[in-house]
Amino acid sequence: MHSPVEQFAIKVLFALNLFGFDIQFTNSSLFMVLAVLVSSAFLYFAMAPAATVPGRMQGLAEMLYEFVSDMVRSNVGSEGRPYFPFVFTLFVFVLFSNLLGLIPYSYTTTSQIIVTFAMAMFIFIGVTLIALFKHGLHFFSFFVPAGAPKVLIPFLVLIEVISYFVRPVSLSVRLFANMLAGHTMLKVFGGLAVMIASAGGVFVAGSILPLVAIVGLTGLEILVAVLQAYVFTILTCMYLNDALHLH
Amino acid sequence: MRFKCGSLSYAGHADIPLARQLIWITLVQAMMNFRNIVTRKIMGSALLMSLSGSLPVLAAGDAKGLPQLDITTWPNQLFWLIVTFGVGYVIMSRLITPRIGGVLEQRGKTIQNDLARAKEAEAEAQEMRSAYEASLDEARAKGAEAASKAMSEAKESAEAAEAELTAKLAKKTKTAETKLAKIRDEALASINDVASEVTQDAVLAVTGMKVTKAEATKSVSKLTKAGAGQEA
Repeated sequence: MHSPVEQFAIKVLFALNLFGFDIQFTNSSLFMVLAVLVSSAFLYFAMAPAATVPGRMQGLAEMLYEFVSDMVRSNVGSEGRPYFPFVFTLFVFVLFSNLLGLIPYSYTTTSQIIVTFAMAMFIFIGVTLIALFKHGLHFFSFFVPAGAPKVLIPFLVLIEVISYFVRPVSLSVRLFANMLAGHTMLKVFGGLAVMIASAGGVFVAGSILPLVAIVGLTGLEILVAVLQAYVFTILTCMYLNDALHLH
Repeated sequence: MRFKCGSLSYAGHADIPLARQLIWITLVQAMMNFRNIVTRKIMGSALLMSLSGSLPVLAAGDAKGLPQLDITTWPNQLFWLIVTFGVGYVIMSRLITPRIGGVLEQRGKTIQNDLARAKEAEAEAQEMRSAYEASLDEARAKGAEAASKAMSEAKESAEAAEAELTAKLAKKTKTAETKLAKIRDEALASINDVASEVTQDAVLAVTGMKVTKAEATKSVSKLTKAGAGQEA
């Protein structure tokens, strides 16, 4: 039996070189490309009619847009407008990566800690730079809780600083762990079904149970895929809001 | 009503029976709880597996550990992430979001315009209605005036005709009356003449006396008066 985490292995599809740098094309790269391609193609062709009264596909594309724009507006306010394309790209990229990964035999790039961590770090550094540019040294008042007793301030500042620097870790690990666990669980149940069925005889009927569980869990994983994309994006919005408005 | 499902809060749906919603919520909640338990187990064992032989795993990318922790794949994934996300960002910011935003803005404008036009049309209709009502009122007033005028004219002419007729009739009556009186007077006068002649003759025949006409007339008129008095 295969290990349930074997599905996360990186497989080289073909070698590629760029000025001597090794940029081999792997299953992970393929699904990153696919996430961008599929999402762009979907949004482009869905919006092709550009109708005043939208059809189903156009309605879906507009819903996606308005969902993110409402998220930015309600969490960041009008100052978040310039960052909307980035937040939208982020949501669409994570959403399509998560959803594409649910197709059997495909690959989930968001189950790679380096991918989620890189995105979280980029957001973290970007948000910190925005805050520094906007507020200058005043930004550091962010770490001093207002109205706290003077004696406690050093401790509170320590806690605030730690919680600030933990942000990229919690942001990336949340998405990574959810994807990892979901796919591992599906694989475990799949393996279980195959194992029971391979025992033959009456056991074939018994393999129905894990199969039913997989069907239910797949539905749940679709929910989690959308939910985690949403959580990742809304936390980004909140960090951005903190950076633009401090407290 | 609101449901809580793990960290999710769900606003109840009015169109779906409550019992069915509750069943689904319970099912999803149970699956979420189950998933959380399994997640912890898997994460624990997977991390333990990786950490137990961490250095060899990291070095060799051993299949037993988590493939995600094989740092040799990291630079390559970082490269592709930057490229794909960068391209995705350019596509979304240059092509997709302006397009969708433009369509939404256009729609908003169209709706605004249509609403304004509808408002205008409504005002126009209101205006037309009031104008129509005003003209209707005017026509009604004119009609009433004409009717009353016609009525008074008719009344006047009828009165005039009546008066004329009455006058005519009165005149006729008067003429007839005078004629009648004349005829009667004449008749009465001739009766007295005849009576006095008859009296003369009768007296001559009976008595042989000649009576003058004056006497005869005198006695006749005396008798006629007495007769008239008796009659009265």
